[in-house]
Amino acid sequence: MSSTSTPTVQICRTCGGGAPVDVHFCPQCTKILTLGRQGDYFSFLGVPRKLNLDVADLEQRFRALSRQFHPDYFYNATPAERRASLERSSYLNDAYRTLRQPLTRVEYLLSLEGMDRQRAEREGEAETGNKVPPALLEEVFALNEELDTVREQRAAGAPAEQWKSRLQAAREPIERKRAAHEADLEGLFARWDEVVDRGAEDERRQVLHALRERMLERNYIHNLLAGIERELGQ
Amino acid sequence: MSKVVGIDLGTTNSLVAYVENGRPVVIREKSGDALVPSVVSAAEDGTIYVGREAQRRLLTDAGRTVYSVKRFMGRGLDDVKHEARLLPFKVSGESAGVVRIGLGEREFTPPEISAFVLRELKRRAEEHFAALGVVDFEVDRAVITVPAYFNDAQRTATRDAGRIAGLEVLRIINEPTAASLAYGLDKRHTGVIAVYDLGGGTFDISILRVEDGVFQVLSTNGDTHLGGDDMDLLLVEKVLAEIPGDGRPQSGEFIQEVRKAVIQAKHDLSERDATEIRVGTYRRQLTRGELDAMIRPLVERTLAPCLQALADAGLQSSQIDEVVLVGGATRVPLVRQLVGDLFGRTPHSELNPDEVVALGAAVQADILVTGNREMLLLDVTPLSLGIETMGGVVSKIILRNSTIPATGSEMFTTGVDNQTAVDVHVLQGERELVADNRSLARFKLRGIPPMPAGMPRVQVQFQIDANGILSVTAAELRTSIEQTIEVKPSYGLTDEEVERMLLDSFEHAEADFAARLLIEARNEAETVITATEKTLRAPEFAAIAQTELAAGEQQKIESVLGGLKMVLGSPDRETIQKWTHALNDATRHLAEVVMNRSVQAALSGKSVDSM
Repeated sequence: MSSTSTPTVQICRTCGGGAPVDVHFCPQCTKILTLGRQGDYFSFLGVPRKLNLDVADLEQRFRALSRQFHPDYFYNATPAERRASLERSSYLNDAYRTLRQPLTRVEYLLSLEGMDRQRAEREGEAETGNKVPPALLEEVFALNEELDTVREQRAAGAPAEQWKSRLQAAREPIERKRAAHEADLEGLFARWDEVVDRGAEDERRQVLHALRERMLERNYIHNLLAGIERELGQ
Repeated sequence: MSKVVGIDLGTTNSLVAYVENGRPVVIREKSGDALVPSVVSAAEDGTIYVGREAQRRLLTDAGRTVYSVKRFMGRGLDDVKHEARLLPFKVSGESAGVVRIGLGEREFTPPEISAFVLRELKRRAEEHFAALGVVDFEVDRAVITVPAYFNDAQRTATRDAGRIAGLEVLRIINEPTAASLAYGLDKRHTGVIAVYDLGGGTFDISILRVEDGVFQVLSTNGDTHLGGDDMDLLLVEKVLAEIPGDGRPQSGEFIQEVRKAVIQAKHDLSERDATEIRVGTYRRQLTRGELDAMIRPLVERTLAPCLQALADAGLQSSQIDEVVLVGGATRVPLVRQLVGDLFGRTPHSELNPDEVVALGAAVQADILVTGNREMLLLDVTPLSLGIETMGGVVSKIILRNSTIPATGSEMFTTGVDNQTAVDVHVLQGERELVADNRSLARFKLRGIPPMPAGMPRVQVQFQIDANGILSVTAAELRTSIEQTIEVKPSYGLTDEEVERMLLDSFEHAEADFAARLLIEARNEAETVITATEKTLRAPEFAAIAQTELAAGEQQKIESVLGGLKMVLGSPDRETIQKWTHALNDATRHLAEVVMNRSVQAALSGKSVDSM
């Protein structure tokens, strides 16, 4: 597991004592701890690194932590504590915003596990460019043909209803693909959580790769649908 | 310890409040008046007037009087040119820089004009605390509110205004959120509330979830150029078009007279179905129906931001538990009706919509200084923050409606070998192209270690603090060298400029002090004049004059009264005071007589009762 190599102790800058990585206040002197580079959004909020999270529980944790270190409550504190409060609150807000939505949550997980798109691009993995994902080749080909026809009709002055209904029809297979994808993603979410529970190290990469592929396809489908919307708006 | 206050720095009116025994209270004048009109006027001798007196001067010296300055905060000349032509004061400045406003012979930036209003509020609060016998009555710290939809430049300008006025600005908070704090005090409820805030010049909508004393803003939207002022403007234009002119442009004073009359008519129509507009010999009936038809397009402009805020919060209008109205313009019946229709429920307006924001600001100030943890405000940034990338496109770094404080970061590198600096352009807004967004600042990242192109990895960290104000830091990750960043605000003042303005204001403090004494002398004179005239007009005066007054006493009173009225407008305080004392002396006997008669009347009434 990638997190095993990261430090598990942080040092309190106020009293010099040691504290576990995931606590926010020093166990010795009770002062707010400076935000270190260790840890991640999941551990910060005290939840497992899973994809199906209880959103109500997440919100409770967010509110409780806000009440602990919001800058409002450190107005009279030392500059170091005020800084720590600002940093911790910002991190908390960023963490909650990211984990609250399933899609940003999975994207964050991928980046945490070194599987995000930017890194893939840097490492020169060809599949991540603007190339059509293989699973979508058929749909994209059909859609492009339709779009060409529609543009020709429009240029020839065809009535709007005619080409608009063609576009609506062209959207259907893409919408179906999207629905199938959502179901796929849900299945992968459950599978990931199960892998985490079992501690099955060998399967992690496999699930992550599948997740990344689905996410790239999902973004591609999203762009296709946005393209149809733009054409409809013409 | 010195006192802290909450200030609502409004487009039309401003006011100040504080927390006393756990409850927020608005600070009023003896007359009960809490509102200080956000108007500043300069007399020929350089004296600066603020508030009611400045508002009076709009009718006599419009060209030397400034109002609605909030509309200019943090904006450039290009933004405000179109509306500046309708205002009596001069607006100038560089096309893409801070606006300058002519006030008498001098020029000021909008934060300096606002600072005059803030100093007046500070003085009023200090007088209040001194009268209460507070030992350290100095007010040097404040929470100041801004429209939720204010951008970084507008917020920074407001904070600068506070600093120029000699106030440490503890926090800038959003007006609708402040209002929700004031409302939340009474009812410890849980739920989703929408705060609809239509003020003099700005419109905000905020959707909040309230739970366990945490007021969490889910989304906010608005229009920083939409308010009651725009309704007034429509009415002014209508009336001016109807008054036969001689082809020459109307004087600023006349336009102000029309403005005053139509505002009065607008207020009337919040309670009645019809009213009359009177300006000079011009008379015109105005019905509520006519007003509604005129202002409907303006009010409807508030609906799209409401729908966007609901969408951003991921809610339907039926999921809103309560709707709260804030701002003077929400007294307009059409506003109430359209808001009620949109949310499908009757909006709340139990608290005075003019005062509720200041009350909330006072609560927040109290939380900050006392560490009281009963309530917590979690606000959002109203606009997305981004940076310019290739081709004039904006890359968003912190999305709108992110809870603040919030951070974002972006990696930069170099384009040519041994490049040691990179230009960064920071923008705020939702649009794709740089040109369609608000430019916040440009800065140069310097001190990048010389390396082949594309090798340096400079991480620029953007931090939006709890005020909604941005700061930037940067570090080159390969060498861990911190970068120095000189941020040049696009529409703001530098720290040095703010510092100089603060010093300038001390220089003028003596003149301002003299001006205040003059106003006080005038106010006292007016009180005595009013009381004397009232007595002279009273039905029983004829009888008193015949039986009780000495020969020539009435003539003496009348001549001194006339004299005081003559010198009332004079800039010489001592003359006004001399005549005020003279009138007091001349009427002393009359006052005793009147007093005695009323005492006797009371006594005889009592004896009749007891029989």
